[in-house]
Amino acid sequence: MADFTTSTHRAKWIFTPQDLKEKYKVANQRAKQALEKYGATRMEVDIDGSFSYAEPHNDNAEKHSRPKPLKTEEEKLLRAFYEFKIQDVCDAFKFPRKIQATALLYFKRFYLQWSVMEHHPKNIMLTCIYAACKAEENHVSAEELGKGIEQDHQMILDNEMLVLQSLGFDLIVYAPYRALEGFVNDVEEFYGERDEQSEMIKDLRESAKVEVDKMMRTEAPLLFPPGQLALTALRRSCGVHKFIDFERYLKSLLSRQHPAHPISEFNLSLNAIDTMINKLETPTSKDVKHIDRKLKSCLDPSSHEKSKKRKHRSKEGSNEMQ
Amino acid sequence: MGDGRANNPNSHSNNNSSSSNKPEWLEQYDVIGKIGEGTYGLVFLAKIKSNRSKPIAIKKFKQPKDGDGVSPTAIREIMLLREISHENVVKLANVHINHADMSLYLAFDYAEHDLYEIIRHHRDKVNQSINQYTVKSLLWQLLNGLNYLHSNWIVHRDLKPSNILVMGDGEEQGVVKIADFGLARIYQAPLKPLSENGVVVTIWYRAPELLLGAKHYTSAVDMWAVGCIFAELLTLKPLFQGQEVKGTPNPFQLDQLDKIFKVLGHPTQEKWPTLVNLPHWQSDLQHIQGHKYETAGLYNVVHLSPKNPAYDLLSQMLEYDPRKRLTAAQALEHEYFRMEPLPGYNALVPPQPGEKVVNYPTRPVDTSTDIEGTISLQPSQPVSSGNSVSGGMQGPHVMQTRSMPRPMPMVGMQRMQPPGIPAYNLSQAGMGGGMNPGSIPMQRGVAPQAHQQQQMRRKDSGMGMTGYPQQKSRRF
Repeated sequence: MADFTTSTHRAKWIFTPQDLKEKYKVANQRAKQALEKYGATRMEVDIDGSFSYAEPHNDNAEKHSRPKPLKTEEEKLLRAFYEFKIQDVCDAFKFPRKIQATALLYFKRFYLQWSVMEHHPKNIMLTCIYAACKAEENHVSAEELGKGIEQDHQMILDNEMLVLQSLGFDLIVYAPYRALEGFVNDVEEFYGERDEQSEMIKDLRESAKVEVDKMMRTEAPLLFPPGQLALTALRRSCGVHKFIDFERYLKSLLSRQHPAHPISEFNLSLNAIDTMINKLETPTSKDVKHIDRKLKSCLDPSSHEKSKKRKHRSKEGSNEMQ
Repeated sequence: MGDGRANNPNSHSNNNSSSSNKPEWLEQYDVIGKIGEGTYGLVFLAKIKSNRSKPIAIKKFKQPKDGDGVSPTAIREIMLLREISHENVVKLANVHINHADMSLYLAFDYAEHDLYEIIRHHRDKVNQSINQYTVKSLLWQLLNGLNYLHSNWIVHRDLKPSNILVMGDGEEQGVVKIADFGLARIYQAPLKPLSENGVVVTIWYRAPELLLGAKHYTSAVDMWAVGCIFAELLTLKPLFQGQEVKGTPNPFQLDQLDKIFKVLGHPTQEKWPTLVNLPHWQSDLQHIQGHKYETAGLYNVVHLSPKNPAYDLLSQMLEYDPRKRLTAAQALEHEYFRMEPLPGYNALVPPQPGEKVVNYPTRPVDTSTDIEGTISLQPSQPVSSGNSVSGGMQGPHVMQTRSMPRPMPMVGMQRMQPPGIPAYNLSQAGMGGGMNPGSIPMQRGVAPQAHQQQQMRRKDSGMGMTGYPQQKSRRF
């Protein structure tokens, strides 16, 4: 829809790599400090809408050694794990790619402001998918979503406002898929429409989409506009399907649309995105198991021996919200 | 956004004021009373305590009872309003959240008038038509705002006189603001039929393709509504005042179509090739194909000569075939707008001295309804959609500070009176709550310049008057 050039996406949600680093560090530090101060990092929403860290539990907090906070790299790994999960869940529900991309961007934007130690990424992941469905007019009830993955849907509802608020209600996001469609159509025209090509173009488009799927899990969508993301995907796809000379196409594209824009500068961005895709890691649940355990004790240090009680308490918590 | 946390250790103690249930952000406002009500919720008039000269309209969304979280209508309206910014479109000044029940409140700058009230005033009170300058200026500004929306791929879908606001006294006096985006859609996304929304909108401004069951919206549906509104501004009467068939989902509106056919003549496949593909025309359960109204009588209804440019413009907006219907951009280029009197910035006050200025009444305010509660001491609920009934609300309690000639009946219908003076100073809105809850800055760093934009509105960048729908630009 609306023009990307005047969008909140462009104005507020494209950063430099330094910005991101700084934001992740700030969130991590804050959670660390909370852990030192309160003995836990879990945030609760109060009735007046303010957030506060969970009350320290005096009972046996003294007896236990303080839980260790997550390092920023560990947070990153955990986010990567849940970002992969988002695609998993969206695939399971057969949601369109656009929803998947929207949910991923919501998730990424959310954790620019919060540490995973403050809000558990599993909850936020599901809430982001739920919110993406609403925003993209593919409404799925929280109950249905919860059922589909055997999670308590109340948790989704409890976090919905937090997520919307953390996103500043900037809910329209520009996924690269649309731009990609445009470029592929353009390539088709550029090379002339010949019958034997239509099959190849189809392959080109499909593999480029897969490239976009991958890059959506990197930091690239927080750093580059969707057009550049789409072109990088197209370039990678052209690298596989050799029948199209991407450089020639790019030159022609730039001369037609951005004559003042030097191609070298452009290639720098595409190369940077390319590197991120190459470095993309997909942690398995085994990889993050110990981090997850660490996270649990940060969120709620008394959780080990009192997991049953904890469940009970969270029910009370949700009643308070009514 | 996320850095308000530093403030929040105090948040616990903030709750001990007199009214314990009152959300903190509400403290910054003096809520004067209810000014509108609809299926979505309620609209209140309020003043900011720190700046009492600036009235605010607060739209409170009802929380859906289906237990499925935040109202999707609210989400849709907010997310669209966040992306758009135009002089002739209401501006969202703030979003507030009541965490106690997870309801959302949108704060807009207040507009004193709307086309529904202006038309009604002329028809029922002063008994004279609206002057040509005002009609033309209102129409031009409406089209200007609509052209912006359509250029941004947004279809409003619910244009009607009560959703077209006009600013009262102040810097923006007489400026049109398109409001109520609860039904607006981005139209390149796959669109769902109206019936799936379960929302009832008035049928008088509904385009014939929708009445005939078209599943997809184009921006042409808004232009039809503009045509209907244009005619209503000229005659002070709704152009096609059909009897609505109630029921769900989305019943066939025979009478509405009949009213249209009577005035515009029967549509033919010759004039409208895709007509035969429309579900209700095809199935023809109610034998609409059989009715024949041969002579088109639009000029008789609007009392205009067929040679009058105003008539030419109107008839092109009321073109049956949506593909042939005039677009907003084309309409703005029409000869009608280049003839005297030229359209102006302040639609209510003609630039020529000596012209008579109509004093429109201020909006009635029902001071008996509290923003927090749903307790209405006067249960006379406005009628859902039609403009026909003035649900007489006996003597609304009028605030003394507001000069109102006399209590007016509260008119039934979805009404919200948002609007936006562009340079509303957000910093004055104050930040309520611990972690910036609710007081989400709604601007993208453009606040101070906004006023200047008024001067250059005709060449508003990014939305050429021509070439609509705007060519989609490649994104880099």
